[in-house]
Amino acid sequence: MKHDNAAGAVARTAAPGAKAGGSSALKKIRRDYDLYLMLVPGIIFLLVFKYTPMYGLIIAFQDFSIFRGISGSEWVGLKHFEKLVHNDQFLQVLTNTVLISLYKLIFLFPAPIVLAILMNELRVMVFKRTVQSIVYLPHFISWVIVGGLFVNILSVNGGIVNTILGKFGIGPIPFFLDQGIFRSLIVFTEGWKEIGWGTIVYLAAITSIDPQLYEAARMDGANRFRQMLHVTLPGMASTIVLMLILRLGHMLEAGTEQILVLYNPVVYNVADVIGTYVYRIGLGASDYSFSTAVGLFESVVGFALVVSGNAFCKKFLGRSIW
Amino acid sequence: MAQTTTAGSNRPAQPTKARPQAPRRIKESFGERLFSAANYVFFVLLGAATLFPFLNVIAKSFSGEAAVVSGIVTVYPIDFQIGTYKLVLGNSQFINSFKVTILVTVVGTLSSLLLTVLSAYPLSKPDLFARKSLLLLFVFTMLFNGGIIPTYLLMQNLGLVNTFYSLFITGLISVFNMLIVKNYFESLPESLEESAKLDGASNLRVLFSIVLPLSLPVLATIGLFYAVTLWNGYFNGMIYITDPELKPLQLYLKELVASTNDVMKMSGMIDVNSDLNQTPEAVQAASIVTATVPILCVYPFLQKYFVKGVLVGSVKG
Repeated sequence: MKHDNAAGAVARTAAPGAKAGGSSALKKIRRDYDLYLMLVPGIIFLLVFKYTPMYGLIIAFQDFSIFRGISGSEWVGLKHFEKLVHNDQFLQVLTNTVLISLYKLIFLFPAPIVLAILMNELRVMVFKRTVQSIVYLPHFISWVIVGGLFVNILSVNGGIVNTILGKFGIGPIPFFLDQGIFRSLIVFTEGWKEIGWGTIVYLAAITSIDPQLYEAARMDGANRFRQMLHVTLPGMASTIVLMLILRLGHMLEAGTEQILVLYNPVVYNVADVIGTYVYRIGLGASDYSFSTAVGLFESVVGFALVVSGNAFCKKFLGRSIW
Repeated sequence: MAQTTTAGSNRPAQPTKARPQAPRRIKESFGERLFSAANYVFFVLLGAATLFPFLNVIAKSFSGEAAVVSGIVTVYPIDFQIGTYKLVLGNSQFINSFKVTILVTVVGTLSSLLLTVLSAYPLSKPDLFARKSLLLLFVFTMLFNGGIIPTYLLMQNLGLVNTFYSLFITGLISVFNMLIVKNYFESLPESLEESAKLDGASNLRVLFSIVLPLSLPVLATIGLFYAVTLWNGYFNGMIYITDPELKPLQLYLKELVASTNDVMKMSGMIDVNSDLNQTPEAVQAASIVTATVPILCVYPFLQKYFVKGVLVGSVKG
């Protein structure tokens, strides 16, 4: 970054209209006018489709009426947020969200790290590449298809799993209807779809570790396991921390698109998360203000998690996203 | 999942074999070879577990309905037939949704690529005035967003509900992809652009005739990311589209899958179209296979690019 900067500055001095050293802002803008023009479509996009909805969040503080619009609707302060904390349904939804996220974090966050380290041990390159191609694949398949695949396998109506269970005298188990099983199903399908893809970042991190470190470790008599512990893992650490912070920010998402595909009214109790609840209450029941309040809650908590996670890592681990 | 953790903890405590890159100086001990063998077996099993659902659904799509419902189909067809594919390909809603999705994917991917590149290039210039603030404007949208309802109301105000554009316009720029491209641009040697500048080329000219041709790997990568997202998307369709003419493929499939789901069978709830309710399992399987084929066709060609692309993006980023 630093040397890029210097090189850029040198290159720029050659351009017409630019003076050596720091010229005034106006001159810089005039010199790079075409670069700014390139940015215009992107910035318009952001302002219209990303920042305008942020402004729209104020309907969480109104009794929004679609006919009167944001400017005409009545202000009600924190009414919807008070309703939120006193709403049993919302508290259930919040519990579901946190639980599902937590399960996913505990079971699915470490898995790609372990998998990447194991994958790195594969020495037959053809085998390694084949394995990678296969385990990356489900990431590119939509949740709808993944849902379809698992409905197929787990169905009581010709699903292979229930056929096999039946041979042992068990079942049939209606997996998608069982409140006790459903969350495990959410975690399992997410794992099936994303664990393989999750390794790609860690494999990239392993690739960027200086081979001399391994050399030195071996000289010091470190065996394979110690090399992994003292070279590979520390080499991956910054990537692991980065992924963890990014993941924390999505804590309250818990896989909305996934759950929308897999769930059904029978398991709403254990499977309804904030995202699906906002969709059902907001667009299903047209309670715009209340569901926006729920959504705002999600956004604010997510934002706070990323920012504080980042600050924490900066302070105690010396690593951060920004 | 459970397999992963077990294999992880079963790892021998004394694996001492050399790194793959380094020459092996010492003959492997028994423990090392045992670990290595277990590792290969583990990955064979993982591969099989990943592929099984696909093979199962392909087998079902070619099997007779009776064999499918009795649950004896594993990874090869029983009572081989292709009648279900004729049904699927003869279904006008399926074909229509397929067309909508192809169009959305092509138009959406191209516009996304253009907008992403146009945004990434200026931001990759280290001495662009106000670069940091502009970057923050982009990155902030990754951390905070207005959510479904305000976005829906905006789309309604803009008159975009129930239009083709609603299927891709809110995702035109993925800031994550933009950052990958920006990092890639920053890694290109400055001297190439410099010489073109001296010859009097404008920034736009430099971008299109020098930078972009050098950036094919990263363009292919994020192009694939955009295309896959658009191909796989059902959420926008579910929110913004009620017109059957504009219903994307995944939304159609979602309703199809739901209609063969156990719940619907057992409780008879959920308002799915009556023609979908009759859908036999094999037809559902064939629809799933048909909708997945396009991804499977492009995947092998683009795989080498995205591995490289992600590498660039993550190492620098």
